[in-house]
Amino acid sequence: MLSHLIILAQAATPAVDAAAQNAGGSGITKIFHDFGISWPFLLAQIANFCVVAVILWKFAFKPVLATLDERQRKIADGLRYTDEMKAKLEAVQQESAASAKRAQADATRIIEEARKAAKEFLEKQSQETTAKAGDILAKAEQLIELEKKKMLAEARTEIARLVVETTQRVLSKELSDAERSRYNESAARELTNV
Amino acid sequence: MASHAKIAQKFARQLFNMSVVDGAVSADRVSGVLQYVEKHNPPNPVMVLKAYRRLITAEVAKSVAVVEHAGAINDAMLAAIAASMTRKYGRVVTATATPNAALLAGLRVQVGDDIYESSVAGQLAALAASV
Repeated sequence: MLSHLIILAQAATPAVDAAAQNAGGSGITKIFHDFGISWPFLLAQIANFCVVAVILWKFAFKPVLATLDERQRKIADGLRYTDEMKAKLEAVQQESAASAKRAQADATRIIEEARKAAKEFLEKQSQETTAKAGDILAKAEQLIELEKKKMLAEARTEIARLVVETTQRVLSKELSDAERSRYNESAARELTNV
Repeated sequence: MASHAKIAQKFARQLFNMSVVDGAVSADRVSGVLQYVEKHNPPNPVMVLKAYRRLITAEVAKSVAVVEHAGAINDAMLAAIAASMTRKYGRVVTATATPNAALLAGLRVQVGDDIYESSVAGQLAALAASV
């Protein structure tokens, strides 16, 4: 097709020259003639250029641009993925820091509660021990008091027995028959009045 | 065994009732009872006689005032005590004297299961008990 256009342009060139010379040289055509611009060749060049441009656009520029677009898209995706990962990592790090902070606060609180509970338990145990010691002391004092009373009662009984026994021994030796007789009379009078 | 003892007790009680006249044990009646037992030989005679003896002894003891004394005691005292007991119990009570030096001085009269204490030893024992 291109060769046909060149052939047509070559065939049209003398005719154009002749027409220009015949026209007596108008401004634009004179310029074109001075600079050697030939309309058929120009049109043919333009046509050729267009064809080449279309072919290049379709088979060269378009795939290359597509590839470039693809690459650009991939780069953008990668950058976006990187940004997202960075954001996620930052979020995870913040969450981890927050969790560590919470865990530390919980541990501190638990330790404090345990310390407080231990203190309360110790105080309670001390109070109970003091109360038990007081009870033991009170019971011991009661036992001592009971033992004392028991010993006093036993001593009183023993002393009474000794007194009675001594009195019996003394009376059995010291009482005379006359005194016994008088006592018997008194006892008989008492018994007759029963 | 328990039923035999009950029967023997019951029979002995019947014999005892026959031996008491006017509230006092009659020697004649006791003699008659013994002859009857010897003659008729009731069932469980030993048990019957033991129970009868216990009843008679207790009844006789009610009519006797045992006067334990330390020191001298005369018949007038015994008579006064016997009269007092007779008046008190409403039956004839005779007094018998029994010396007991452990009393130290005074008298102790026992009529059946009743004891009347008026001795130095008794008073000392009461004093010891009260202390």
